[in-house]
Amino acid sequence: MVDFAIEFVPRDLYWKTTFYAIQAEKTGFHTLWVTDHFNNRNVYVSLAIVSAYTDKIKFGPGVTNPYMAHPIVTAQAVATLNEIAPGRVVCGIGVGDRTTLELVNMKLSKPLATIRESVGIIREITSGKKLEMQGEIFTVSGAKFNFQTTNRIPIFVGAQGPKMLALAAEIGDGVLINASHPSDIYRAMGFIKEGASRTGKRLDDVEIAAYTSFSVAEKPEKAEKAVIPVVAYIVAGCPEKVLQKHAIPMETADRIRKAIIQGKWKDAFSPITREMIETFSICGTPETVVEKIDKLVKIGTTQLVAGSPIGPNVRRSINLIATKVFPHFNIKEGE
Amino acid sequence: MKLEKIVERIPSSSWEAISEKLIDIVLNSSNSNKMPSGLAKTILYYWQRDQLNTKIGIQRLLEASAIIDPEETVEVLKELGLQEAIAVIESH
Repeated sequence: MVDFAIEFVPRDLYWKTTFYAIQAEKTGFHTLWVTDHFNNRNVYVSLAIVSAYTDKIKFGPGVTNPYMAHPIVTAQAVATLNEIAPGRVVCGIGVGDRTTLELVNMKLSKPLATIRESVGIIREITSGKKLEMQGEIFTVSGAKFNFQTTNRIPIFVGAQGPKMLALAAEIGDGVLINASHPSDIYRAMGFIKEGASRTGKRLDDVEIAAYTSFSVAEKPEKAEKAVIPVVAYIVAGCPEKVLQKHAIPMETADRIRKAIIQGKWKDAFSPITREMIETFSICGTPETVVEKIDKLVKIGTTQLVAGSPIGPNVRRSINLIATKVFPHFNIKEGE
Repeated sequence: MKLEKIVERIPSSSWEAISEKLIDIVLNSSNSNKMPSGLAKTILYYWQRDQLNTKIGIQRLLEASAIIDPEETVEVLKELGLQEAIAVIESH
């Protein structure tokens, strides 16, 4: 059984994101993730309005990072959202998008320790405890919220590299695997198993989410055109090992990254090849994407995140997923 | 003629189709940022309640699309043969 989640980037006007969120809920999506980049609209403000216009869909930042926002602020934000929509809030946290963080001179230092301590802080403080900790990265001296969180907020950790995947499984309720290709998900499962075993968890205890770049349309070329900018960002921020595995030269990724930072979109998008699209996205007609999702589910994916761009026309693509993809996975409208 | 009166003249058999076309205009126009925030919230309210294909929903969508993209809105009304309505949108 796989659940479907959807990702929105609040680059869009708030009411468009909310419109699509309502549509996602109506059509049977289980979870909604909203990205957190400083140059888009604020993730928590976006989620607050989404929460006001939806009733069932789970939602959360996907993913926030502890470099731009102290984990105590993240904990405060998700706990407040949970008050608006009890039991519907999830928290996605990861190291963040290297390309965007570089724009504000943010260094992704000690990522493993930073994420481990951040998850600990969010978990402890949202459980109502008074927090005292002296970590390698964060120090908290007696912090406690003046309000209660009525339920446990699941924390998903975004991960791509081996150590972060293992850590995510060890400390998270779920792992958001930043990958779309079956071989990457398969490889990730090994690290996830290892990480889960560190704390005596079974693989079934951890939600395995494939956080894919997704584009579906009736005409494959339209789906492909829509996904190119997103694939460019993925290649630009990809760890060297992942690039090597897919035979993508580091120089190409560097060139794309520099072009993105300089806002030279043609230079950023033109090096994107069909192979890169195949590697870093689920893209094509409904029939093609069903085939690709099937492969990920067989490997052990329990949540498929249809990430940006979703398709050339978001509303139509959501409807296509609902009418032509969901039936294959026994998901009915409004479930 | 007011928008309310325009909608009165649209046969209920066309509500679904016109609603779809107006939603497309509102969501996909490059002028979407012209949408007044209060009107956006009203549209979200009706969308959440599955009422964008009702008389009141279409009124609000028509109001929004006339602000965001009057030319496209006129095209939709032409397709429906609502000539009087076009004059209202053009004077909006």
